[in-house]
Amino acid sequence: MADVLFPRLSEAEPDAEGVLATWFVSDGDQVASGQLLAEVMVEKVSGEVLAPAAGLVRLLVGEDQTARQGEVIARVS
Amino acid sequence: MSATETTTASGAQAGQAERRLTTARAISEGIAQEMERDPGVVVLGEDVGAYGGIFGATGGLLERFGPDRVLDTPISETAFIGLGIGAAVEGMRPIVELMFADFFGVCMDQIYNHMAKIHFESGGNVKVPMVLTMAAGGGYSDAEQHSQCLWGTFAHLPGMKVVVPSNPADAKGLMISAIRDDNPVVYVFHKGVMGLPWMAKNPRSIAHVPEEPYETPIGKATVAREGTDATVITLSLSVHHTLDVADKMAKQDGVDLEVIDLRSLVPLDTETVLSSVARTGRLLVVDEDYQSFGLSGEIAARVAETDPGLLRAPLRRVAVPDVPIPYARSLEQAVLPTPERIEAAVHDLLKA
Amino acid sequence: MDDKTRLDLYRVMVLSRTFEEAILREYHADKKPAFDIGAGLVPGEMHLSAGQEPVAAGVCAHLRPEDAVTATHRPHHVAIAHGVDLEKMTAEIFGREGGLGRGRGGHMHLFDPNVHFSCSGIIAEGLPPALGQAFAFKRGEGDRVAVAFTGEGAANQGAFHESLNLAALWKLPVVFVVEDNDWAISVPRDVSTAIPSNADRAAAYGMPGQRIADNDVDAIYTAAGDAVARARAGEGPTLLEIHTLRLWGHFEGDPQAYRPELADVPGKDPIPAYEQRLTEAGVLDAAAAQAIKDEASARVEKAIAFAKASPVPAPETALQYVFT
Repeated sequence: MADVLFPRLSEAEPDAEGVLATWFVSDGDQVASGQLLAEVMVEKVSGEVLAPAAGLVRLLVGEDQTARQGEVIARVS
Repeated sequence: MSATETTTASGAQAGQAERRLTTARAISEGIAQEMERDPGVVVLGEDVGAYGGIFGATGGLLERFGPDRVLDTPISETAFIGLGIGAAVEGMRPIVELMFADFFGVCMDQIYNHMAKIHFESGGNVKVPMVLTMAAGGGYSDAEQHSQCLWGTFAHLPGMKVVVPSNPADAKGLMISAIRDDNPVVYVFHKGVMGLPWMAKNPRSIAHVPEEPYETPIGKATVAREGTDATVITLSLSVHHTLDVADKMAKQDGVDLEVIDLRSLVPLDTETVLSSVARTGRLLVVDEDYQSFGLSGEIAARVAETDPGLLRAPLRRVAVPDVPIPYARSLEQAVLPTPERIEAAVHDLLKA
Repeated sequence: MDDKTRLDLYRVMVLSRTFEEAILREYHADKKPAFDIGAGLVPGEMHLSAGQEPVAAGVCAHLRPEDAVTATHRPHHVAIAHGVDLEKMTAEIFGREGGLGRGRGGHMHLFDPNVHFSCSGIIAEGLPPALGQAFAFKRGEGDRVAVAFTGEGAANQGAFHESLNLAALWKLPVVFVVEDNDWAISVPRDVSTAIPSNADRAAAYGMPGQRIADNDVDAIYTAAGDAVARARAGEGPTLLEIHTLRLWGHFEGDPQAYRPELADVPGKDPIPAYEQRLTEAGVLDAAAAQAIKDEASARVEKAIAFAKASPVPAPETALQYVFT
């Protein structure tokens, strides 16, 4: 089981919230290690979320929803 | 889409792992695969390097191929588009990005008097295998000079192919086709279909894209939705709005629309347009470019000059009504071809 | 400069002038009794280069067939000096199937890929594509260069300024040659340009600039040699401005009412002047000069005959060559 974390894109504001802009996978999909899972935004900066491991992914945050940097947004098992 | 094809909602074939990308990523993937295959492919433009293109079309290319093949240019469209032409004449395959279609005014001579005409002027002896990409379209309040589509203007002038993908899979396939084409190809991508994280997006901006390189034919439209009651000819972001309207009207009004995604303006797939109109007898054109003297009139003319009897009712068109695109959201939304305007036009078309 | 070089320069200039005189003759032959621009075997606009031969001869002497040249609406002298196929060029001017562009382009749109020659009727717009050819050459094998010709009036067009900056910025192997023939159609240089010489603009764009006066083919040859050598050595672009002479009108049919010193112009013809200099230097004598002129005549008349014998393009083929 591997946690997928919302990237820390803003060092200046570590507690800033961001948005999960785009999920490239659906809940329950099989993913490969390193696969592009999502695109996120914190203010003006966008970032990629890659799968930390291979397995089944469960999404914990919906598209266009806010989340905190470092928050667990999905799990791969 | 036939019921016997096993394809996921996002477009992947049965047995193929679904691989969803934004249109922006699909474009840069297509470019990257061609750059791997052919050392003559280079990318030029403003902010195409470290920034990855203002609208994401060249993301990751600088990191992968280096500054010798992905070049940030000064703000000199005439010079760098002309440079692309000269490089193409000498056998390279440059991809040159014009940041906004709206900027063509500062460099149009190189585009329409040189890029588009050299092959013809030389009696076919000189080729210009170049791709000119540009971001187009409105809906996010960028106002008069940064929201235009203008594909009708490029399509009107002889000598350049014009392609306008609506979705990620076509975006990659058309980019690969455009790069491999020995003719100059104007490749217009609507900012609203790019799937950018910083702009409101239609869900169809993220879809399955096959991993291997493939060509999507230039000059062939596709039937985005089969139907019987009316034909809607459209392109780019308007394909998504039209499909949304079609889904809604199927449920609410029992209306069954056929939606044709043109994908290319030059060459224009007249055959697909005519065969659809012949079956449904009713025609709506949805085009985010300006209404008069453009694409929607061209479609109407091609139907009328083939057989006006194909139409059981006068045709309708939804386009930007010959007005510069206003800044205020209330005004912009009144002139763009929104789902509301499309739905009203369909009702109007079916009533007549 | 050795005698052979000077003789070659003279030979190229004579060939070019002979050609222009023949085109002048053919162009006007069937436009009588009053000038009708659309009539005859060579209709349309015609911009002849009489008087500007030293520029083409002096610059192109340093070029090889694999170097690129872009020229203007007044291209014939440059095309001849760079070795464009004379017969096919003439046929193109006559709008025939045997022409460089199968009659599709005409006199302002000559393309000879064998010597990487092209020209355009849009002022200053031949510069950006020359940059592209130089860009491709720089990435390939060898030390090929591109030379872009333009006029002193064109040096006020945006394309000129953008091209100079980009060429210097990317250190492209290109030479910019400004033919200052004093007149942008009917507008003299001091009415169009804020500074006395475009050579002074070169420094603003990060490249060396030089103005050559007096339409002197030897001085042009020397300056161009340095500029081309710089480009071949990877040192980047140079701007040359050459004060030359437009012997005839901007286009054929131009009455030149605006030109006050018109009566003095023929006396400044560079070719008789060079012939005299070479004769005084013992490089040329009357018989040798005549032989060169006769040879030029023979070549040119052969090209004209080729053109006239070439078929007129069939109307049914009018839609071909839009795309490959």
